[in-house]
Amino acid sequence: MKVKKSTAFAFVVPFLVFFAAFWVIPFVYGLYISLHKYSFAVGRQEFVGLKNYARILVGDSIHKEAFYLGMGNTIKFVICTVPVLVLGSLALALIVNELPESVKRYYRAIYFASYSVSVTAVASTFVWLMKGTGGYLNNLMIKLGLISAPIYWLEKEPFVWITLTVATIWWTVGYNMMLYISALNEIDEQMYEAARVDGGGYWKTLIYITLPNIKSTFYFILMTTVIASFNVYGQTRLITQGGPGEATKSVIMVINSTILTNNNLGIGTAMAIVMGAVILMCTLGQNWLTRERENL
Amino acid sequence: MMSKKRLSTIVLVFVASVIAYLFLLPFIFMVFTSFKELEDSLTATSLFPKRWTLQNYVELFQNTSSSPVTRWLGNTILVTVTGTALRLTVSTTAAYALSRLDVPGKKLIVGGLVWGMAIPEIVTLFPLFYIFKQIGMINTYWPLILPSGSGVMVIYYIYTFLQDFPMELEEAAYLDGASIMKILRYIVLPSIRPVLVTQGFITFLGLYNNFLWSSLVVNQTKMQTVTLGLATLTLGENDNRPGLMMAATAVAVLPVLLVFLFANKYIVRGFTRSGIK
Repeated sequence: MKVKKSTAFAFVVPFLVFFAAFWVIPFVYGLYISLHKYSFAVGRQEFVGLKNYARILVGDSIHKEAFYLGMGNTIKFVICTVPVLVLGSLALALIVNELPESVKRYYRAIYFASYSVSVTAVASTFVWLMKGTGGYLNNLMIKLGLISAPIYWLEKEPFVWITLTVATIWWTVGYNMMLYISALNEIDEQMYEAARVDGGGYWKTLIYITLPNIKSTFYFILMTTVIASFNVYGQTRLITQGGPGEATKSVIMVINSTILTNNNLGIGTAMAIVMGAVILMCTLGQNWLTRERENL
Repeated sequence: MMSKKRLSTIVLVFVASVIAYLFLLPFIFMVFTSFKELEDSLTATSLFPKRWTLQNYVELFQNTSSSPVTRWLGNTILVTVTGTALRLTVSTTAAYALSRLDVPGKKLIVGGLVWGMAIPEIVTLFPLFYIFKQIGMINTYWPLILPSGSGVMVIYYIYTFLQDFPMELEEAAYLDGASIMKILRYIVLPSIRPVLVTQGFITFLGLYNNFLWSSLVVNQTKMQTVTLGLATLTLGENDNRPGLMMAATAVAVLPVLLVFLFANKYIVRGFTRSGIK
């Protein structure tokens, strides 16, 4: 359609204004802040070049210690949650897909429903399910004689990791399941018919037809899940409050306290940019993996 | 042969039901505990209340200084509705123009969008927070609503949808002398409705459930959303009141679950349509 260029541009302007104000400017400003000694309360102090980055990555400073602690804890969280979120969701999708057509959608809705609640609701519920004293699970297990003393699910390692993992799975596994289900439904029906003619059973069909056909979805889910788990904040902030000690303090919690408690906007922003770079590499890795596959 | 198939279906439904129970358990626990008396809620080994009471809800709604729940709900409605409307409007016009019209600098804009999708939010979050603080907008509705207009994913989904959508009808209307605005309103909007519903729901959910960003830009109790208020209660001195906490949680979760049930059909469709590219 031939409309004036200025008219066409006018349609894009509102978005561009928002994109510039709330994405481009903060992005550029963030890079600028990270190159300065910058106090959250007082503002800009002096240009320090890449020193902020050096202080969080190498050498000997409280910031490096805090950043590495947060990174370590976050990686632990990634290792605890990702396998279940990626493979458990696949199992759920396969189960839902085999269910009788009449009940399928109810089960699918139940598994997916918890994804719609907020992390604060997840946290308050799991706090009272799992709390050391007065929590439902401990009360129940003691009554059933499974344990004689309460387990400190929110207060002691390694139990805190179990609690965080279970809460996170309950909250988000349904989303991955939905992605798998939509991928499963897109597999060509004829392939299955061919397999049926060849007399392949369920497991054979699963291994030779189903799984190879959802490979790119698998990579996509793997990477988005790693990224999401890397961004953990609400669960560790609200369920374990970073504890015991600082054992579950995640990177975002570290960045948060560097800026708000220690008043160091320059260091905190540099930490966020490093973290962003790590996440970006995951995204690029996923793109690369899927491209590889398509070339084969 | 037939009976073997039947047996495996029964086993499968059984397994699926056990899992479904585990998924529902936190909800069941939440709702029942909210009707329990204090003693019962701390010592119970049964999910079911010994004696039903509305005390927790009464207290929650009466204690307007520490938990102004109605105010929180009002804030939440304002933020989610305007934020969602803002994002859908801005994204629809932009995606339509980029897909159909000769926009100057299109390549540059699309390139910017791709980077906008790839660069993680954490990078811009704190500088943006600092900007809002410097211009004195902390504890207002603005930082909760306005950034919603910069969301890139919705543009991407509408754009992809329009690329696969025939444009003959639009061409014909244009030749008949209809204005671009009319075409957008009467031809494009009805056809992209499924995408708008799904993306609208996801945007709504994001705004309703946002925790990190809103905890930065709002710290006054009366300016909080339900989600944020619940966090304050969880971390606050109601530490030993499971009944009260679960009542607050139930109130916070109910609106979003209702929307979920209502939109479930469309969301499922949206998942299949958008796919993963």
